[in-house]
Order: sequence, then C-alpha cells, then structure tokens
Amino acid sequence: MEESKAYIETGILELYVLGQLNAQEQLEVEDMSVKYPEISKEINAIEIAMEKYAVSHSIKPTASLEKQIFDEIGATPAEQLPAATAGKIVPLHPDNSSSAIRTLRFALVACVALLLISVAALYSAHNKLNLANQQIASLSTDKEKFAATVSYIKDENKDLQEIAAISSDPTWIPVKLAGTKISPQANMMVYWHKKGQHVMVDNTKMALPENDASHQYQLWAMVDGKPVDLGVFDAQTQPKKLLLAMKEVGNAQAFAVTLEKRGGSVNPTMEKMVALGAVSI
Amino acid sequence: MAATKKISLTEVDLVRALRGHETIAIQALYDMYSGALLGVISRIVQQPEVAEDLLQETFIKIWNSADSYDSSKGRLFTWMINVARNMAIDKLRSKDFRNANKNQDIENNVDFIDSQKKITFNADTLGLRDMVTALKPEFNDVLNMVYFKGYTHVEAAEELNLPLGTVKTRIRMAIMELRKHFN
Repeated sequence: MEESKAYIETGILELYVLGQLNAQEQLEVEDMSVKYPEISKEINAIEIAMEKYAVSHSIKPTASLEKQIFDEIGATPAEQLPAATAGKIVPLHPDNSSSAIRTLRFALVACVALLLISVAALYSAHNKLNLANQQIASLSTDKEKFAATVSYIKDENKDLQEIAAISSDPTWIPVKLAGTKISPQANMMVYWHKKGQHVMVDNTKMALPENDASHQYQLWAMVDGKPVDLGVFDAQTQPKKLLLAMKEVGNAQAFAVTLEKRGGSVNPTMEKMVALGAVSI
Repeated sequence: MAATKKISLTEVDLVRALRGHETIAIQALYDMYSGALLGVISRIVQQPEVAEDLLQETFIKIWNSADSYDSSKGRLFTWMINVARNMAIDKLRSKDFRNANKNQDIENNVDFIDSQKKITFNADTLGLRDMVTALKPEFNDVLNMVYFKGYTHVEAAEELNLPLGTVKTRIRMAIMELRKHFN
C-alpha cells in the first residue's frame, strides 16, 4: 500500500497516460498496475480526467468530413481488412543472400572434396617416392657391389696375367716351398727375380693353414746360411691379392716360412717353420 | 458526455465491435469523440484543413489497427487520443510541414487556434480552459505544452528552463486540479 502510494506520487502515471514514457518504463507501469489495484484505479482516473479535458476542448469537424471518412472506410470491405492489414511483406530490394549462401555452401563442399583428394594424392605420391628412394638405395648398393667386384676382378685378372707372365719368363725363378714336419700339408709358391731382386708370393698356389688375428706368416730368405726377413703375409681363403710383392733380396739359396706374432719377428722361430724350399738353379 | 452524441455504446461493446470491424463501432466512435480528437489535433497542427485531414487519417488508423489496442493497458478513448496526438506530432515534425510553416510560431498554437473563426467550442465546457488556466497557470502551462502542443516533457523542461522533476510535479498537480474540477 505504501509502495503503491509512493509510486503514484512520483507522477510517472500521469506521464504514462500522456504517452511520455519509453517502452521499458511503460512495461514497468503496466507491471505495477497489475500488482496494485490502486495504481490501476489511479491510471483510470487520470485517463478519465484527461479525456474530459480533451472533450472540453472539442472542435466540431466540418459536416462533410464524416461522410468522407465513412466513404473511405466503407470502400474497404470489412472481411478483407485483416488480410489487408497483415499485408504481404515484399522486400524492397530482392534478397539474394539465400542463393549466395547456397552457392557458398557448394563452394565449401567442393573445397573440402578437393582438399581430401589432394591429401590422398600427396600421401600416395609420398609412398611412391619412398619406394623409389629405397629402390635407388638398393640399386646403388648393388652398383657399388658390382663396381667392387669388377675392380676386384680387374685386379685379379691383372695379377693372373702377371703370374702367367712370370711363369713364362725365364728371368723369374719359381721356388716351390714344401711343408715341414709340423705341417706336412703346407706348400706354397714364391717367384724370385734374381736380377731385379723382386720376390713375389703367389696366393693362388698357397696351401697354408689360416693364421689367426694375433699371428702372421713371415717369409725368410736363406742367404749364406742366415735368415733374411722378407716381410709378413696372411694366409686367407679369400685373398685380397693374388700376387703379393715382398721385400727385395738379391741373393738367396732357399726360402722359408715361419709362423710369427703379428708384425713379424727379427729372428725366425725355427720350431714354427711351416714351409721350406730351396732355389734350384 | 456531451448531449449532441447520436450513438453511444459501452466501452466493452465498442472494443468488441471495433475488433470485429463492424462499421457501427467506428460510427459510434466518430459520434462520441471526433470533436475531442479534432480539438487535440488542432492545437498541435494549426491549419484547420490539415487538422481535418489528420482526423480522417486518425479514424482510418483506429479502424485498421484496432487489434493493436490492449484494453488492459488503458481506456480506449485515451488510446485514440494518443493515436491522434502522435499522428499530429509526426505531421508537425515532418520536413515538408515544417518547411511550409516556417513563418509561424508553434508556441502560439493554442491561442492561434482559439482565435480562428471557424472553431466553435462545445458550449457545455466553454470557459473551462480559462478557468483551469486561471487557477494554476504555471501548472497548466506545462500540461498544455505536453497535451496540446506536442512537446515531450523533457522538451518542455528545456523550454521552460525547469528541472525535469519540477515539470513532472507540475503535470501531476495540473491533472489533480482537473480531476478535482471534473468530479
């Protein structure tokens, strides 16, 4: 009661009736009038006062106006009025946005499809490239293997030709070394060019037990009863070279091979002599 | 109401008939309120021809937009007066109207209208406005600016160089005087 009285005294109801309030203030007044019957009553009283005030200031319209107004209103069949009032809303400017949106939607779908195809193509290309790279790598490995083989065969061929040349050359003296007591199966061939002091070990005609990593065979020349070191060599099933050049010696009566520690010894270990052959002139 | 009315219906009947687009409704409304509405319009827009055109437009609008009237928010006649007043104010503020009336002082509308020979006051209430004005001139001026001249209460405060609260109080006091007088 106190609240409604205070509200009435603010003068807002008068402004409401005079149409002076904004939409929000109007809603507020309407809410209050629903809440408080005395506010609703007050509004009604203000309205009646203002209506009477307006009536008291009446000005009689010209007599012809009435007919004019009813002619206008009567010209519109009453049944059609609601439809006419509702009206069909025709846009002032044709609205193309929906078709534009449809076009854009198609474009978007096309873009996504293209993107997916591109990704798939890229993935497949990437796979093929990887495969090609692997093939190239394996081919290049093969090529290197072949090149190594070719070069090895070339060297081998050169050595074989040299061996053939040495065999047929009378200035080279072939010395056959036979196995000793500790290794009767052993035998090997050494070529000696007395004049040029060259000594060659023929790996193709070598049959020595394979030496281990800590030992090597050492070739000696027997010069006037004394052993002269001619260098070390390995006995392998797959020798790197067919013909092995040793240290030079100009005078020798015999050649011997001992098994020594890797790198060779100053003096031969006689009990480890595996092969021996005298020079036959 | 005035004795000259030909058709008179209760407000509830009037609203129902108006919503049903029965011509009797608009006929009754015209008989009951055309003078009052023209009085309001004429005080905002001074030219009688323009005022009558606006009265015609007002009735057509009332006829066509009866559905937008909500009886819970106020009386039908008050709604009609507001429709008429808004129409007149819109006209007053429209560019073509202002251009055609540059030489006229809007503030003198009320006196100007009253001085027009064509205008006849309702005999029952003749002299009422003078009486009210004589009672509380400073209160009534504010009410008349808002009710009859198309000012907003904010514009009236600016024009009279008064605080908004004072304007609101004066409007309220003036209306209370009217209520006392009409009761």
